Amino acid sequence: MALARADLESLLRARRLDRTLTTALPPVDPHDDAAVAPSGIPSLDARLGGGLRRGHVSEIVGARSSGRTSLLLQTVAASTTRGELVALVDALDMFDVESAAAAGIDLARLLWIRGHVVTNPGLCADMNQRALEQAIRAFTLVLQAGNFGLVVLDVAEAPTQAIRRLPFTTWMRVQRMVEGSQTACLLVGSEPMARSSAGLTLRLANRGLGVVDSGLGGLGSGGSGIRFGALLFDGLTVDARVVRARYGDRDETGITLNTRAAECA
Amino acid sequence: MSPISPVTTSPLTPIPVPPTTTNPQSPIPTAQLYACLHRPPAGDHPADVPDTLSTVAREFSPRFECHGPDLVSIDVSGLDRLIGPPHTIGEELRRAVAARGIRGHVAIAATRTAALVVAVTRPGVTIVARGEEAGALAPIPLGILEKIGDHDRASGSARLKASPSAEEREAFSQAIAVFKRWGLTTLGELAALPPADLAARMGKHALAWQALARGEDTRPLIPTLDEERFDATLELEWPIEELEPLSFVLTRLLEPLSTRLERRDRGAAVLHVLLRLVTREIYARRLELPTPMRDVRTLRTLALLDLESHPPGAGVDRVTIVIDPTPGRVVQHTLFTRAQPTPEQVSTLLARLGALMGSDRFGAPAVVDSYRPGAFAMTSFAVDHRDPSGERTDRADSADSASNASASNVVSVLRRCRQPVPARVAVADGRPVRVTTDRRGFAGGAVAHCAGPWRTSGDWWETSGGSGRSGESGRSESPRASSTDSPTCLACPTRPTSWNRDEWDVSLSDGAVYRVFRDRDTDAWFIDAIVD
Repeated sequence: MALARADLESLLRARRLDRTLTTALPPVDPHDDAAVAPSGIPSLDARLGGGLRRGHVSEIVGARSSGRTSLLLQTVAASTTRGELVALVDALDMFDVESAAAAGIDLARLLWIRGHVVTNPGLCADMNQRALEQAIRAFTLVLQAGNFGLVVLDVAEAPTQAIRRLPFTTWMRVQRMVEGSQTACLLVGSEPMARSSAGLTLRLANRGLGVVDSGLGGLGSGGSGIRFGALLFDGLTVDARVVRARYGDRDETGITLNTRAAECA
Repeated sequence: MSPISPVTTSPLTPIPVPPTTTNPQSPIPTAQLYACLHRPPAGDHPADVPDTLSTVAREFSPRFECHGPDLVSIDVSGLDRLIGPPHTIGEELRRAVAARGIRGHVAIAATRTAALVVAVTRPGVTIVARGEEAGALAPIPLGILEKIGDHDRASGSARLKASPSAEEREAFSQAIAVFKRWGLTTLGELAALPPADLAARMGKHALAWQALARGEDTRPLIPTLDEERFDATLELEWPIEELEPLSFVLTRLLEPLSTRLERRDRGAAVLHVLLRLVTREIYARRLELPTPMRDVRTLRTLALLDLESHPPGAGVDRVTIVIDPTPGRVVQHTLFTRAQPTPEQVSTLLARLGALMGSDRFGAPAVVDSYRPGAFAMTSFAVDHRDPSGERTDRADSADSASNASASNVVSVLRRCRQPVPARVAVADGRPVRVTTDRRGFAGGAVAHCAGPWRTSGDWWETSGGSGRSGESGRSESPRASSTDSPTCLACPTRPTSWNRDEWDVSLSDGAVYRVFRDRDTDAWFIDAIVD
């Protein structure tokens, strides 16, 4: 007879193995700044129980143009506004400083670590794999230093195969490093990578290929994921869903986020 | 001998001198005895030896105070047992000064002030008998107070002061002028004025000047301490080729230095590592520390990381550590602010990142004043981010101020392609209809919608000798980093190139939104950024 999940969890608790594999964690006060790192978006923070859990690994995943970078920079901005130090390991060196300033990030509190990934390595295909591993090492160095409010590893545009080639123990080590600390660890990628080490996985998706002209003249029907005005690109409309949560209720109801293009100077 | 005045609570009460006499032959009891050396401003002394008087003073007593390069006070109490009576001490001092080519003045008195004033005014060796300081100073003209200058003004307070402020000097000059208008010409006349009336007219500072005129000390001698060197050397029996054994040597040298720094309330500002190689060369590394520190582990880690990046070319047979000290950093911990990495932690992290990634691959980003797309600068990441106010950000305030974000107010950002991706764009009616590339990960597709073109150009005035790059490659490249005039900018400026482009925001059939541009000089298309 197959064990029910509840039986398995109780068995693990009895052997004191519940802290690594089950959700037997004490409840967290969503208003406790020391326990969560709010993203600054009230509806999303309410769904996440206050924000990203400190001492845990969280993920933001999604396809290209799904709003993951916008959500990332919004979270970083909220952290720097609170006076925290943030470290961003930008494995593919795609961080846009102008966008970060427009998002309200206090750049003096951001430690930006730029990876050595080459966009067109040609025959030296393993160069980027080594660069990715180097970015992981830099990521662990920052986690070991400790006391950063938010530490981000951005591998959003890295090939899926390159991520999968990383040792599976990588994320377990990362999870061990942040466990019990005041650091919120955030991974940004195209698909979930931390597996069981992740405490939260948030998937973002563009609402669809349908484009709605939010200005003069209609363009099409269907989804409204990409908004264009009469002359300008207006922003994205994305759905954010919690697809994995070790703590709290895993409510997969989507939250709608609307991004808006930054105002021109 | 005049009776000793009882010590009162007034800060201007001169320090009483015990009247004990140990040598009946000497006119001055040797309980407290001060000597003063003065080098007159004549040109008959070596001009390139400013510390001559200090050197002479150090030979006679460890307690001496330097008032300047030409005036030194020495506590010579107890030297009668070594040298002899005061006039012998004075002669020895004069001889020591003369041996260095200086014709100095020497004065010995029971008070430091009396010795100082007499040394400045009288040549040769002068001995002032105990209790006769006022009499010895009485005929000295009042102008000596200005000549003494900053050396020993107490400003009416027994508190030790480094040097008077400009306001105090101005007040003193005005007081001297008033004394002269009153008809006072000598120190004796100033000393004879009733103190209460003098204070009522001139303020309490005048009492200090009156005490000086009587030769009374209003403050003790402040010994000048030798500048302490923080260095340590270890000769190795066998040369060291690798860094791992060197770490043990560094620890052994740094631990006593750290203890000495702690005792002196000093931190290391600069760490010098001097390695003598087997080739007899000295391999020197200099580490400027971002914050005063004395933690052994941190200093050792920083030194090792630096040597890892810049290894010596041969084996090491002698290791020397020299530390440039600086006053220690005062840290007051609080329970009400969020814990942040300490400067030592950040310094170590930055050193490790430098060794791993390269010193130009990390830092704090900064926006530059340029319209160049993707322009930025890298600045040094500060090691100390403590808020001077030490106040914790209120959660309500942070929620309000965090870019006023809501579900409908998140800024749409770009992921910048540091090297724009060449693309093939089909155009119809002046608008892009299809975008494809040969780059893996950029599949492309039909254009669902687009906005543009937005024309931008710049730096065309820099094209003389700088636009060849754009012409040769057939595309204009955004530099990896743009420089600023800030001295803290780490990024090395690439040669600025002009840009002249029409930009489009396009959404493709695969759901991706890109920023593409057409280089108007070469008519080539590129993908510049991804909207995400």
